[in-house]
Amino acid sequence: MMANYAMAFDYKLCINCHACEVACKEENGIDLGAKNHRLWIDEDGETEGDFWNLARDKITFIQMQCQECQDAPCLKACPNGAIYIDDNGIVRLYKEKCDLTLACMKACPYDARYIDEKNAITDKCIFCADTRLARGETTTACQITCPAKLRYFGDLDDEESEISKILRERKHFTLKPELGTKPKLFYLE
Amino acid sequence: MSVEVSRRKFLQGSVALSVAGASAISATNLFSSEHASNKHQPTDSRIPSTITTKTGTGEAVEVATLCEMCVNKCAALARVENGVITKLNPNPMFPKSKNMLCPRGNAGIQAAYDPDRLKYPMIRTGEKGKGQFKRVTWDEAYDAILNGTDKFPGLAKILEEEKDNRSSMLFCAGEGMAEHTFKQFYQAFGSSNWLNHASLCLQTVVSGYGVTLGGYPQSDLDNAEYIIMAGANRAEAIVTPDTMDCFKRTKGRGAKLVCVDPRFTNTAAKADKWLAIKPGTDLAFVLALTYVVFTEELYNKKYVANYFNGLEDYKNSVITNKYTPEWAEKITGIKAKDIYTIAREFMMHAPKAIYYPGRRSTFATNDFQLRRAQAIFQALGGGIDTKGGLIFGKKLKLGKHEGLEPLYARAEARAVSKKDHPKKGESGYDDCAIVSGGGSWIAWRNRYLEDRMPYKVRGMFCYKHNPMMNMPNTKKTAQMLKKMDLVVTIDTMPSDTVMYADVVLPECTYLERTDPVKTFGGVEPSIAVRNKVIDPLFETKPVRDILRGLTEKISKPLFEITKKYDEDVQDELEDSDEAEVYAEFDLTLPFEGTQEEVNHHMVASVYGEEAAHKLHKDGVFYPDMDKFYKKIGANEHQYYPEKEKAYSVRGGKPKTPSGKVECNIANLASKGVDPMPVWKDEYNFKVEEGKFRLLTGRHAQFTQSGTSNNSMLHDLIMTNFIWINQRVADKKGIKFGDMIEVSSKTGSTRLKAYPTEKIGPDTLFFIHGFGEESSELTWAYKNGGNDNAVIEDVVEPVYGAAAMHETNVEIRKV
Repeated sequence: MMANYAMAFDYKLCINCHACEVACKEENGIDLGAKNHRLWIDEDGETEGDFWNLARDKITFIQMQCQECQDAPCLKACPNGAIYIDDNGIVRLYKEKCDLTLACMKACPYDARYIDEKNAITDKCIFCADTRLARGETTTACQITCPAKLRYFGDLDDEESEISKILRERKHFTLKPELGTKPKLFYLE
Repeated sequence: MSVEVSRRKFLQGSVALSVAGASAISATNLFSSEHASNKHQPTDSRIPSTITTKTGTGEAVEVATLCEMCVNKCAALARVENGVITKLNPNPMFPKSKNMLCPRGNAGIQAAYDPDRLKYPMIRTGEKGKGQFKRVTWDEAYDAILNGTDKFPGLAKILEEEKDNRSSMLFCAGEGMAEHTFKQFYQAFGSSNWLNHASLCLQTVVSGYGVTLGGYPQSDLDNAEYIIMAGANRAEAIVTPDTMDCFKRTKGRGAKLVCVDPRFTNTAAKADKWLAIKPGTDLAFVLALTYVVFTEELYNKKYVANYFNGLEDYKNSVITNKYTPEWAEKITGIKAKDIYTIAREFMMHAPKAIYYPGRRSTFATNDFQLRRAQAIFQALGGGIDTKGGLIFGKKLKLGKHEGLEPLYARAEARAVSKKDHPKKGESGYDDCAIVSGGGSWIAWRNRYLEDRMPYKVRGMFCYKHNPMMNMPNTKKTAQMLKKMDLVVTIDTMPSDTVMYADVVLPECTYLERTDPVKTFGGVEPSIAVRNKVIDPLFETKPVRDILRGLTEKISKPLFEITKKYDEDVQDELEDSDEAEVYAEFDLTLPFEGTQEEVNHHMVASVYGEEAAHKLHKDGVFYPDMDKFYKKIGANEHQYYPEKEKAYSVRGGKPKTPSGKVECNIANLASKGVDPMPVWKDEYNFKVEEGKFRLLTGRHAQFTQSGTSNNSMLHDLIMTNFIWINQRVADKKGIKFGDMIEVSSKTGSTRLKAYPTEKIGPDTLFFIHGFGEESSELTWAYKNGGNDNAVIEDVVEPVYGAAAMHETNVEIRKV
């Protein structure tokens, strides 16, 4: 079974509760520790002015994780050829080839990777590829648990998939498009 | 639009609450080496060796259960691999939680595998409160409860000395599905002293709406066009389905949300409009909204004509008292023009407009009147029992099961102290006007400490309840626990309260037990069940099994004492066989059979065998589920078709005995309570120079002290911080992370500073549930500040609820 997996975020719905982060850690056995996470929520924007006159429209919560670049800087940067794109269009790692040069971490413009000390590799979101998808499920841990129901996960190559439809219907953007990395994570306006 | 992406290192969760650069727990193996002593060594192959366990691709069992990380009871599907719970996923079939699990729900695994859990029964060996215990067998623990040890008396001695006054034992419990099971023990035991979370929780809101509308309604946030959310923080204090329904529709997506809060919360961030308000003045805000509605005649005339009692009285009161928006601006800090606009917009959208009732603790002493004013304001728009408004909904029936409530002649009535000669229009009780089922915790505690009890209360049973952390004035609670001759706690964790126990009975967590089946009313009613996911770990047991074992031990010996003192029983024994008489006093009866059998019967007797099996398997059942339930998208399911939803079940008619909205309640006046909501000068927000009003509350990653030792949640939020206004902090030279001592007449606590403009210059805030003193808690011990060490025990006058936001404090940098 092959697919071209992607994710879209109705990002303005986020309430910054971190259910996605916990679900991801439990599903994928991620170590505790503030720096260890495959996904996180970025609190963007600050309040301005004093308390009784607080300007606050700029505050947004942004879902952050590997952007699944189709032209992935990490893949190109790895001196060991440890990074590849799998049959489902997901940027993956040959664990045995990784010797922690950290070139991928430095190359990633989205800061999506961290060091997984337990396995001595650099790790990042892989859409639950070796857990849920490997079991034949078609959801990710973060998508299914989200209280705001803002995550759409699916196959871009299937025109009838919900994500394909929603990307046809709604305006969206990608992060740092100027870098030409062609992310497959889409933020819905 | 484009989004600036900052670096991960600076992104440790919510800036408001977590620490940048907090020290991480790097250990992958919780149960070994650096973390603690040998108590953490796993001896059971069913306990995972690491905190998180990557889910596998092999064989797995899926069990439908209900979450107990907070009071919501969202539905979950537990994945079990080789006897280990590796993942909790949302159960899509439950209309209440609609296929979601919040961060706490996801972290439930860590409650089961918490290395600090109570693992076996213990009895006290050292000084009370020092947490010195010895491990015993269940039988030894039960025996100690009956016969005592050299350190404390048992039930036999206490009841003998109190001549079978069963009320000499207090029973108290926290919220939960098995609270019912414990309450059956209380009823069979025959005490009149029951205290639960209500007076520390939602007593005043439930009662305020109860006497006004005849019930505590739910909110149809899925269809409302206009929502006022005042003093409720649904983006952080998650409630299902409210949180899910509300925020998907704000900001131009169908509903306008007005948030009123003395803090800039995540709810404020997600709202269309946020109004800062002075703490405790919401009642003035509602009265002014009502004033606009009356003077501009914006109310729903047809609804008011059909379903209001005392409208003219209330209208006169609001108008002659001149509760104008200009008046309210001075009291609340909310601009008069905003009040006019909101009143008009609300009524324009009514009945699809909601003044959100909320379900929080009592904050101000006027809370009961606030809730009455909210309910009346809501009803003026006609938004009662209708789509997009407040709804009563439908509830599915369940079968009955046997309880036992024997009558003991020597059991005294509830230990409330009545006034000797109450004046007309005065409360008949010392502490509050009305004594509710759940009682007034702090009034009871204080009365007990001051020896103002009508008889001796000698001991207490405490189930899933943490009085040391959950109520104002921790010092007094400690004194109360020390003064009790016999304290028995049933809990999963070595909480601060457990440290004061004489006998500790370890319960298993919610993932290791089946609880009483429950029916969930609403627009989309259903029945749901918490199934046991794994067998209890260590020597723990479900509370039902604990109580079965305990009652088998104590029932007959205690009956012997009853025989000695109870004249009625003595009379009965003259005419009847002892076995026959004893059957009425056999405490073991409510705990016969397994919970699974009881649940099966309660469902099968109404809906048939197949329904009972389906419920067990799916975790959720409602009639026609096969027909109605379907997946309609990755993130959406249909539970009921639109025409089957129970938006309106009484045609808008309130549930009060009169069938009307009660504006003016004479019965309240006879108890010394204002019959209509009015403002009083004493409600004005006042803080002395140099002091601050202390606010407390919740957020999405913790549920009070119950989750304070959860390793996963602790990883998200390392500690609690005290919010202090940025400009005030600058003036005082306080910077982010500085240690602050907060003190009041009650006591003091210490925690780190978070200067921000998200809070006003005369208020402070920190999250409840931190700063525990039990050294048995690896993550929670002395972590952050305990609000209840500082909050004064102010008793709300109507129901005796604890008013949490009435304390002014001082701070200093230490």
